[in-house]
Amino acid sequence: MKERAVYKRILYFSIILAFFGAALFVVLTGDTYSREETKTHDGKPEDRLIIAHADIFGRLERPGVLFDHGLHVEASEKESCDTCHPGTDDGNLIFAFPFRLMDRNREHVMDGFHKKCIGCHNRMTEAKKKAGPVRCGECHAEEKHSLRTVYPRVDFDFTTHEKHVRSLQKRCILCHHSYNEELVYEEGTEQSCYYCHDAQEQRGPSLAEETKLTLAKGLSIRNVSHARCVNCHLDRAKEGAKAGPVACAQCHTGRYRTIEELSKVSRPDRDQPETHLIHSENGRMKGVQFDHAFHEKNTPHCRCCHHETLRACRECHGPKGSSKGAWISAAHAYHDIFSGYSCAGCHNARKADTQCAGCHHHLTGLDMQKKGQQREYCGVCHSGKREVPVQTGMRALSELTPEKVPEKVTVNVLEKEYEPAVFPHLRIIRKLAAISNESKMASYFHQDVRTLCRGCHHRSDAGAEAARNKPPYCRNCHSVTFDPKDMNRPRLLAVYHRQCMACHEKMKIRAVGCEDCHKAKKTGPDDIF
Amino acid sequence: MGISRRNFLIRSAALAGAAVVGSITKVRAGQTPDSRGEGYGVLIDTTFCNGCRKCEWACNEWNKNPNQPIKAYENKSVFETYRRTHAHTFTVVNRFINPLNAEPVYVKKQCMHCQDPACVSACFVEAFTKTGRGAVIYNPDVCVGCRYCMIACPFDIPAYEYHEPVSPGVTKCTLCYDRIRRDGGLPACVEVCPTETLRFGPRKELIAVAHERIRNNLKKYVDYVYGEHEVGGTSWLYLSAVPFEEIGLRQDLGTRPIPDTGKGFMFMVKVLEIVAAWPLVFAAFHAIARLRKKNADTRVSADDKNAEEHDRKS
Ligand code: SF4
Ligand code: SF4
Repeated sequence: MKERAVYKRILYFSIILAFFGAALFVVLTGDTYSREETKTHDGKPEDRLIIAHADIFGRLERPGVLFDHGLHVEASEKESCDTCHPGTDDGNLIFAFPFRLMDRNREHVMDGFHKKCIGCHNRMTEAKKKAGPVRCGECHAEEKHSLRTVYPRVDFDFTTHEKHVRSLQKRCILCHHSYNEELVYEEGTEQSCYYCHDAQEQRGPSLAEETKLTLAKGLSIRNVSHARCVNCHLDRAKEGAKAGPVACAQCHTGRYRTIEELSKVSRPDRDQPETHLIHSENGRMKGVQFDHAFHEKNTPHCRCCHHETLRACRECHGPKGSSKGAWISAAHAYHDIFSGYSCAGCHNARKADTQCAGCHHHLTGLDMQKKGQQREYCGVCHSGKREVPVQTGMRALSELTPEKVPEKVTVNVLEKEYEPAVFPHLRIIRKLAAISNESKMASYFHQDVRTLCRGCHHRSDAGAEAARNKPPYCRNCHSVTFDPKDMNRPRLLAVYHRQCMACHEKMKIRAVGCEDCHKAKKTGPDDIF
Repeated sequence: MGISRRNFLIRSAALAGAAVVGSITKVRAGQTPDSRGEGYGVLIDTTFCNGCRKCEWACNEWNKNPNQPIKAYENKSVFETYRRTHAHTFTVVNRFINPLNAEPVYVKKQCMHCQDPACVSACFVEAFTKTGRGAVIYNPDVCVGCRYCMIACPFDIPAYEYHEPVSPGVTKCTLCYDRIRRDGGLPACVEVCPTETLRFGPRKELIAVAHERIRNNLKKYVDYVYGEHEVGGTSWLYLSAVPFEEIGLRQDLGTRPIPDTGKGFMFMVKVLEIVAAWPLVFAAFHAIARLRKKNADTRVSADDKNAEEHDRKS
C-alpha cells in the first residue's frame, strides 16, 4: 500500500514539474507562438477594413474590429460623410476617424471610437432603427483576430492622369502644388506627389525639408491622396458633374495596366525632349543619344527614372557630383547597376527575365569601376551619333555556317559512366538569336552575333584563340580535375552541369534529369567507389 | 533484483571513474592543440546546388549505409518535408524557397566539423576526436551511450542507433576521414558533386576563396561566410544568396565555441555526478529497501488479520 502511495507522490511531483516546465516553455517562447498571421479578408478588396491601430496601442488587449465601411455609407446615406469624418474650415473633409485620431493619444483615440460608435448605435436603437452592436465582444470578435486588411496600392498611371487632364480641362492646380512656406502653384513646375509625400522611399538632400515636414504633419501619400481625391470627387458629385469613385474598392482595384496598355496613351506633356544627347563637354566618352520618348513608353511613371524631380539628371548629378545629388556623379548615376533609377540598373533588372536569364544569370553586370572591363560594350550606347539607331536585327548571322561554327559538340567527360552527351551547338545559337531579335532591348545590345557567343564562352579570348587556331573549348581553361592553383575555377564536369542545367532551369526549357543529356552505361556511376 | 542492482552499481562506478579521469586530465579532451584555424574543410556554394542528391547517394555508398540505386535519388518528392540526419543518413539535402524570387534553394546538411566541437567536450569518455585534418571522428568502442553529444551539438547532428539491439552507437558524418587522411583524397560527396557546389581544401584557403567569390560577384551573395566564425568556426563553410536563416542555418549561435560557454556548466554537471549522485543513489536504494521491508511487514499483519477474522467466523 505504502509503495503505491510513494509512487503516487512521485507521479504528482512529476506532473507538477512538467507543468512548471510547460509554463516556462510558454513564457520563453510566448512571443513566437502568439504571432498572428497576416491575411486580407478573402484576398480581394471590399469596402471593409480592420481597425486596430497597433501603432498607437501596441499589443492589443482585444482583437481588432472588422469595420464595414460600405455598410455604414449605405446606412447613413441621408446624412453626409461629416457625420463621422471631421471637416476643415475650407469645407474639405479629413478622412480619419474618430476626430481625435491625429492626437495619437491612446485614451483619446479609444474614447473617440467608443463614444462615437456606441453613441450612434444607441441613438439609432432609440429611434427604433436598425442599429449596430454595442457590446464589447460584438465588435471585438475573437475569430477576427488574425484578419488584416491590405488594400492594393492605387496606381495613378499615365492613362488615369490623361483622363483627369481631359475632364479637368488642364487645370493642373487642382492637384499639383509646390511648397514655399505655403502651398503655391506655378505653371510648368508640376511634379509627382510621391516626391514630397512618400516617406517609404529614401529621398535625397534636395527634398529633405519637404519630406521632413510632410512626415511631421502626417501628410503621407495615403492621407493626402484620400483628402485630395475623395474630397474632389464628393464636391463634383454635389455639383452634379461627372465624378470619380469614393468607395474603397473602386480605386483600390489591384489591377495595374501593363506597359503595352500604357503605350497607347499620348505622352504626358511637360515640355520634355523627344530625344536628348547625353554628353559632357570634355568627357572621355562619346555622347549617348537617349530616346526619351521611347523610354516614356516603357515605364509606368516619370518617377521611375526622375526619382526626385522632373528636371534633367545632371542638375543634381554633375560630372563630379555635388551635395545636391548626394555626391553621386553623373557617370555613376547612369551606370550604377543596382540602382532602380539608373540606365544600367534598369537594363540589368531586365536580364532576370526568363528569356534573358539563361545567359545573363552567370555574367556579372558591367561594372564601370572594375579594371579590364570589356570596353567594346561601352560603344553600344556611347556612339556619339545624334540620330536614333534603327533596329536592324542581329548582324553577322550569315557567318553561322557549319564550317565555322560546329553544328554539334560531343561532350564525353563522363565517358566512364555515361554515353557521350551531344550538344546541338548551332541549333542553340540560332534559337538564342531568334529570341534576341524578338526583344527590342536585346536586339539593340546584341547587334553582333558574337555577343551571343559570350553567353557561354564567357571569358574566352576569341582573337587569340583564332590566331592559334585553337577552338574555344571549355577545357582550355577548366581542367578535368580540381584545380589546386585556382580554387575559384571550377572543374570541367562542374562547368558543364552548372552552365547547361542552370540555363535550362532559368529559361524554363525542360526538366533536366541525368539521362536527358547522357544515356547511362551498363557500368553506371555506381562503380566510382 | 539483486543481479540488476549489482550491474547498475558496476556501470555507475565505471561512469563516475571515467568522469573523474576526464575532468582531471583535460575537459576539452581530444582536441589537438593546433587544430583551430587549420585543417581541411569544404565550401558549400548553395547558389550552384541543383538538388540532384548525388552527394547523399555517394555518402551512403562510401559509408556502407543502406542505399538505393542512383536513379532513385532523382525523385524530388523527398523535398516536400524538411529532413535531418539520422542514424544511417549522414547527410541530407533540403529544399528552401528563396523569398525574393520564389526559386528553390537546395542546402546540404551534415556535421559541420566544428573547429572547437561541442560533441568532443561533452563526451566524458573521449569517444570524439578533432583530428588535425579537420574531421571530427567518433570511436564506438568507448562510447557508453549517454548521448550527451546529441544534446551538446548546436547543429543537431549526432544520431543514435535506437534500432540496434546489441550495441547501439552514435553516428554522424566523418568528413570521409578514411579518404582524406591520405593526400589528394576527397570526401565522397565532394568527389561526386556534378556542379562543384562542394569544394574541398585547406580551411584557410576556402575562406579566402569564399570572400573572393563574394567580392567578384557584386550583390550575388550575402556578404557573409557561414561557418567562418559560428561557434568558433567550422570546417564546413556556406555561401548563400539568401539570408542564412531562410535556408535553415541558425544565425543565433554566436561566435564563441560551445565548449567555452558550456565548460563551467559541464564541469558542474560532472561534479554533481560525482558528489551528489552517490548519496542520491544510496538514498533511493535505501528508501526502496525500507519500503519493501515495511510492505512485507504489512502484508504479514494483513495475513494475520485475515486469519483472525477467519478464526472468529468459524
Ligand atoms: S551533389 Fe552537389 S549539386 Fe547535387 S545535391 Fe549534392 S551538393 Fe547539390
Ligand atoms: S556539428 Fe555537432 S557533431 Fe559535428 S563537430 Fe560540431 S558539435 Fe560535433
